[in-house]
Amino acid sequence: MRFLKVRNMDINGFLFVFMLSTIMLNLVISLYGVFARPSLIKKIIALTILSDSGNVLAIAVGFRDWPSGWSPSTPPVLNVTSPKASDVVSFARVAVDPLPQALVLTAVVIGLAVMLFLVFLTLQIYRLYGTTDVRKVAKLKG
Amino acid sequence: MRLGRYLQAFSLVALAVLLAVALTYKGLGDLPNPAVRDLALWYLYTTLNPEVPNMTVMSPEAVTAIVWDYRGLDTLFETMVFFLAIVGALAIMRGITLNEGGEGLHIERYGLSLITKTATKLLVPLIIGVSASIALHGHLTPGGGFQGGSAAAVAPLLVLVIFSTYYVVFKLRLSELSMISLRTLGLMGIYMTSFATLILGLVIGVNAYIFQNMPKANAFIGLPPALGGSLISGTLFFFNLFEFFAVAAGFTLVFILLSIPEVKAREVLKGEEHGH
Repeated sequence: MRFLKVRNMDINGFLFVFMLSTIMLNLVISLYGVFARPSLIKKIIALTILSDSGNVLAIAVGFRDWPSGWSPSTPPVLNVTSPKASDVVSFARVAVDPLPQALVLTAVVIGLAVMLFLVFLTLQIYRLYGTTDVRKVAKLKG
Repeated sequence: MRLGRYLQAFSLVALAVLLAVALTYKGLGDLPNPAVRDLALWYLYTTLNPEVPNMTVMSPEAVTAIVWDYRGLDTLFETMVFFLAIVGALAIMRGITLNEGGEGLHIERYGLSLITKTATKLLVPLIIGVSASIALHGHLTPGGGFQGGSAAAVAPLLVLVIFSTYYVVFKLRLSELSMISLRTLGLMGIYMTSFATLILGLVIGVNAYIFQNMPKANAFIGLPPALGGSLISGTLFFFNLFEFFAVAAGFTLVFILLSIPEVKAREVLKGEEHGH
């Protein structure tokens, strides 16, 4: 139980662990939706939840604990346009990790593109065969 | 069948526990950590730092700096994936268009009430203004071309729902073809911007790279970080601008395709079946 001991179960630590477990729960429920629900629409909805949970997890990994009790960690955006050396140093001391955010931005766009394509595919399947149930679609001949 | 259900449930729960244990004990260390990784520190130190002239991106927004400079090629191919997905959607919906047949229609009879129409007329310029601000300040504040473009696409979506598809296609002339053209222009802009420094280098006769933004140690040219006293961060401003057009037009195209009346789509599909 190293994890719990390090955090000493203060309220913020508890909330963070709670959030992570909620994300895990979300991941699992959405995987169930993708695997087990027969409707293509429900599969697509579950896939959206899956990718969004993954994105939230990535953002949470990039989060930085407050440097001290009263000064919060900040977004990775400098608020001066011609900084002195001291500005950059103090910025790097409190800003959160920008890399997961950039990766999530990419993942959101690609997820959206895939989602669009799937929606159009499902729409045409429904128009042609009158169903979105994969069990029925799989049995169709021709 | 019942056993299969139990097996499914068990394997999913096992996966969740495994993920949680792996992330907690091996993958990530203590969360949230008061320190960031060394790589993150590198990005934070160099994103806007005139004291390291060959390393900096000259953008105060570290996320945009990563997206369009440090990992710029990544984003270029991401734009390509988005482009290909829309090409795929167009291919699936081939033949289903609204390009003709708008002559005899009384367009003003379609849509919701006068109140919603007037409110939409007031809202649309505001939406466009806010989204342009998100896109054009992408190198200074959170946001960027993609976010701005997605926000801008809300305006045609509102008009589609409140005024009808016919209004958008026949009155506003936002047809599929014009949206594809606008989208292609945006993509061409992104393409040209990624070559801008290279072409500049060829003209002057010095080393330069594809996708280069600021001067580097062995390729000491780049686009100007500021224009007329305001920071544009070299290529970042142009990438955001063109991405804004490409994304807004792409989404509008998809919304128009999705709002074509079902009767019309079924007509085309039926004709296709008879043709075979």
